[in-house]
Formats: sequence, structure tokens, C-alpha cells
Amino acid sequence: MLEYIQFVLAPQVVTGLALGVAVILVALGLTIIFGLLDVINMSHGEFYAMGAFIALALGQVGLPFWALLIAVPLLMLPIGYVVERGLIQRVFNSPDRHVTTLLLTFGFGLVLEDGLRLIFGPNPHRPETPIPGAIEILGTYLPLYRLFMVGFGGLLILATALIVYRTRLGAMVRAAAFDRNMAASLGVPVEKVYAGAFAFGVALAGIAGVLLAPIYSVFPTMGRDFILLAFTVIIVGGMGSIGGATIAGLFLTQVQAISSLYISPVWADPIVFAIMVIMLVVRPRGLKGRLGHA
Amino acid sequence: MQSVLKTLSVLLFAGTLSTSALAADPIKIGVVTPLSGTYAGIGQQVRWGLELATKEVNAAGGVMGRQIELIFEDEEANPSVAVQKAEKLFQVSKVDFLTGTVNSGSTLAVGQLAERSGKLIATTVSFADSITADKCSPNVFRVNARAGQQSAALAAWMSKEKPKAKVFYLGPDYEMGRSTVAAFKSNVDRVGGESAGEVFAPLDSKDYTQYFGQLRAARPQVLYTSVAGNDTVRLFTQLQEFGLLANMTVLGASGTVTAQNISAIGKAAEGFVTGVGYSAEVASPENKKFVEAFRAATKSDPDLYGADSYGLIYAYKAAVEKAQSTETDKLREALRGLKWSTPQGEKTIRAGDHQAEQVMYVVRVKDGKFGVVAEVSGPDAIGADTCTRF
Repeated sequence: MLEYIQFVLAPQVVTGLALGVAVILVALGLTIIFGLLDVINMSHGEFYAMGAFIALALGQVGLPFWALLIAVPLLMLPIGYVVERGLIQRVFNSPDRHVTTLLLTFGFGLVLEDGLRLIFGPNPHRPETPIPGAIEILGTYLPLYRLFMVGFGGLLILATALIVYRTRLGAMVRAAAFDRNMAASLGVPVEKVYAGAFAFGVALAGIAGVLLAPIYSVFPTMGRDFILLAFTVIIVGGMGSIGGATIAGLFLTQVQAISSLYISPVWADPIVFAIMVIMLVVRPRGLKGRLGHA
Repeated sequence: MQSVLKTLSVLLFAGTLSTSALAADPIKIGVVTPLSGTYAGIGQQVRWGLELATKEVNAAGGVMGRQIELIFEDEEANPSVAVQKAEKLFQVSKVDFLTGTVNSGSTLAVGQLAERSGKLIATTVSFADSITADKCSPNVFRVNARAGQQSAALAAWMSKEKPKAKVFYLGPDYEMGRSTVAAFKSNVDRVGGESAGEVFAPLDSKDYTQYFGQLRAARPQVLYTSVAGNDTVRLFTQLQEFGLLANMTVLGASGTVTAQNISAIGKAAEGFVTGVGYSAEVASPENKKFVEAFRAATKSDPDLYGADSYGLIYAYKAAVEKAQSTETDKLREALRGLKWSTPQGEKTIRAGDHQAEQVMYVVRVKDGKFGVVAEVSGPDAIGADTCTRF
């Protein structure tokens, strides 16, 4: 029994936590973009991939991992800003915004994926794990890098929540999400806030890419790996809610991690999606309400 | 004026025909191989190997005084295209022999066509055991090692290095994964190893950590895996992360660690062992000479596909000279039981199933490159003859 906890259960909980934190980072960007812009960003997974590839390229010219954690989101910010202003803003006021932006971002995601394939080739790459090794706590073997991911990712999630709920910038974002016209008439530069929030979401996806690259490796279609799970997380958590995404992210990844110990991992995904379906039926707005509305 | 030109060209054309008929006709060998698409890299090696050997044979006077001529067609690694192109080579180009098919589906399909057309073919690449087992054909030969030989060689090595080892199996959850694990397992049972458990992970798994508890508790000395591509990258990285590589030898299928993923796996690939039919590192004088000539001609290293394709031309030459004919029935008799010399040393074609018996190599990754650590003799690796058609 003790051996079971040491060898099987405890490491798997940590694995689930590390994955959970990364999924939350991807989902946070999605949920902010949805809560604020009312846009379902189907290219979000490819921004995650882009973050990983930029980290790979910069790592190869000699930038250390710690610098990448700052450099990659800084590079992703202007990319996100330009994509929002150049593509999404153009169709933002079309009558059928959900469908138009969904198709637009979906197409853009395909272009990004093929672009990465053209530049970097189809084969997988991987940066070496920046913190190799593991520690043994009470007979449980825990990889240091996954522990670091849990800590660092947790701090990022906390910082994001503080920015959105506790700063003047965050107040502008929430105001624009609640009532666009009222916020504009009170002097909030709504279009810039939109583009800025989109860029922020994209940068978060980029950081997730940097963090996960040493564990899951880097290849052009990697964006597809997390996008479904991230969408499930924001649906269960409540579209647009940061707290909801965090709770749902931690819960669903634990469900996945623990259930795959007992059943084939192929069946772990259907369990997660079944929870989403049940949530949609029982409580369609998710655990928490929308950004700016709760 | 135009009609004059026409007549003239017809005359000239007829002239070339008659002069070539006067000299000894070349022996035509058709090569249906992927020259474009995912398998183009393999097709390239096939082409280089065949061309190098053909050049050497022709320079030394050809086969019974006749030069060899290679005619290439792109099969796009697609069995139906392969059949079309092979049909064209048999009917229009009137080739005497055909080779080059890469994926096993193409080899089987072209093999059926060869039977209908009364011609012989040989594959130098396809691994699937069935080609020289339950789906064997009197018109199909294989000069490269099949999957079973790789597996048997690896098990033979393991029984020497780690006698009575406890082996844990981790395969990808589909037909190839399950059959490779089953094959290696039966080989391990044969050499006296013990199973410590087996799991099958879905393709494209993100995490393998859920199996690590079972793996750690089983305390195996050896892990056998047949995952491939990016799955290998993730599995090996995570094994390393969780400190599982320290006291365990990792063995695998020949497609598990390849040129495409070895750099992404990095340090986690160190010590990985597999069984193969050829390595450019083989230290024999024949191989050194071959590698040198191959490098000079192509500026690249030969891999197993290049080496086995090179060897095929010499097998054909030896068989034609033995039969004193290129005619199908006589050539088949000559190929059965043929012994000839290749970069891997002497190979023999087993008469019962048309499978080449050869020395197998066990290779291990050291400093990011495969090196030969052992050789396993041909009879120890070839396995039983299960072909019942002829």
C-alpha cells in the first residue's frame, strides 16, 4: 500500500499538477480573449506551438532557459497585438461575429502550423531539461523540473488574476468586457484594450510553450495537443472566468492523471469530455460567471 | 522538306536499333522506388546503392559480357502506383528483373504482379515478416533482414549480456506495436528471460508517467519498447526525468530511435540498444571498401537500405552467371540457396522461403551515435521457415 502511494499515486498527482498548470496557462489566454472580445480563438494552440519554436530557435543561438521565459512572451506580445489589429478587428463588427472569427482564427491556425513546418521541418525537436534530476521525498521520486513548473506556473496564474482584478489596467479590461459602449464613452481606449488583451493571452500561451517544450518536445502539430483540453477547461470553469479556469484546470487534469492509472489513457479523455457535457447540461455558464459580469 | 527530315530520322532511328542489336543487349533491371514524398530519403539510398554496384559491375565487364541498365520509376510509396509502374516496366520496357519497392504493401502487390507476368522481383528494404512467411511468393526474394531477424538478434544478445533478465514491455497500442512486442517476448521466452509486465500506450501519448509506477515496482533489468517517432522522444525524456534510466537497459525495435528523432531525444538516448541488418560502422574490410566508395560517389554515408540494395546487384550477377541465363525459371533455381558476398559478409538465400540469411548486428547509442556492440550469426537470427507455398 505504502509502495503504491510512493511509486504510483504521489508522482502521478505531481505529473497531473504540472500538466494542470500548463493547461491553465493556455486556457487563461483563451478565456480572457473570449470573456473580453467574445471571440473563440481557434489559433490559440498554434500560438502555444509558436512560443515553443521561438524558445527552441533562441535556445539554439545560446539564450539560457531563464531568459527565454522573459524573451518569448515579450516577442509574442507584438505578434498578438498585430494579429488582433490586422485580422480580428477587421471582422469584429460583422453581424455573425462568432462564426466569422472562429473561421478566421481556425484558418490562421492552419497557416501558422504549416508555416512552422516549412521553417523547422516535420521532425520533433527538444531543448534539454533546464533543471535535470529529481528529489526523493518520503520515498517518492519527484522530477525537479515538474516541481518548478508547478511553482512558476502557479505564480503566473496568481499574477494574471491580480492584474485583471486588482489593477487599473484590469479594471479597464473588465469594464470593456462588461459594456463596450459605456466603457468607450468613459474614455477607455476599447480597441487598444482588445488588442492588448489578445496579445496578453497569446503571450501566456507562448510561456506555456516554453515551459512544456523540454517535457513534451516541439513539433509543428503540437498546438493540437492541448487545445481541446483547454477549451474543456474554460467551458467547465465558465467562459471568461479566471478563477473558474484555474479550478477546472486543476480538477480536470487530476481526473485525467488519476483515471489513467486505472483505465487505458484512451478512456481518460472521454471522461474529461463527459464532465464537460454534463456541465453544459446542468450548469451551462460553468463554475463561475463571465469576466466583468461576476 | 519536312517529309525528308521525317524519313531521315526514321532511318537514323532504325540504324541505332540495328547497331545495338548487334552488340550484346544490356540486361535491364527495373527499379520501382519512392523518389518523392515521405519515403524519398529511403528511395535515395536504394538508388545510390544500386547505381554504385551497377557502375562497378559494368566497369568490370558486366554480367556474362552484358552491361546492366537500371530504369527508375517513382512509386510514391503507394502500392497501387507501384503496381502501375511495375506493369509499365514489365510490358513496355521489357525489364529482366525488378527491385526497389520500399513499403511492405508495395512489395506484396508488385510480387503478385510479378507472378502473373512470369518475372522475378527482390526487395532490399521491406521489413514485414509476412513477405517471406505466410504471404511468400515463388517470384519474390528478400535480400535484407526481416523484422523477426532483428528481434531474434537482440534477444540473443540480451541473453548473453543479461542472462535471465526481467523484461518489461511497453509498446504502442496498434498492430505493429503489439506484433513487435509479441515477437520479442517469444524470443525472450526462448532464451530464458522473464516477463515483468507489459503495457500498451496509445499513439501520440503526451505522458507515459502513469505506467512508471508499475515499471518502478516491477524492478526490471531491461525495458523493451517499440514506440516510434515523437512518442520515443517523450517516453525516453520522461524516463530520464523520473530517474528510471539509471538501473535499466532500454532495448527497442529498429525504428524506435532513428536519424529523425535521435537529436531530439538527446542524452536520454544514450545506451539504447537495437538489432539491425547493417551499420556503416561494421569493421570488415569489405564494408570499409564499400563505405569509402559510397561516400566518394554520393557524399553521404550508406544506411542499411543503401547497403542491401548494393548487395542485390551482386546477388543478381552471381545468380545469372550460375544459371547462364536471365530466364525466370532458371534464375529462380540459381537464386535459391545462392551464397554471395556483400558489405555485411556472405549472405545466403534460403531456398524454402526466399529469405536472405545474414549476420545481424546489435548496435548501441554512444555520444549520440550508433556503434556496433555485437554480431549475431545468421542461423541464430533467421528463425523458422514458415512459407508453405513452394
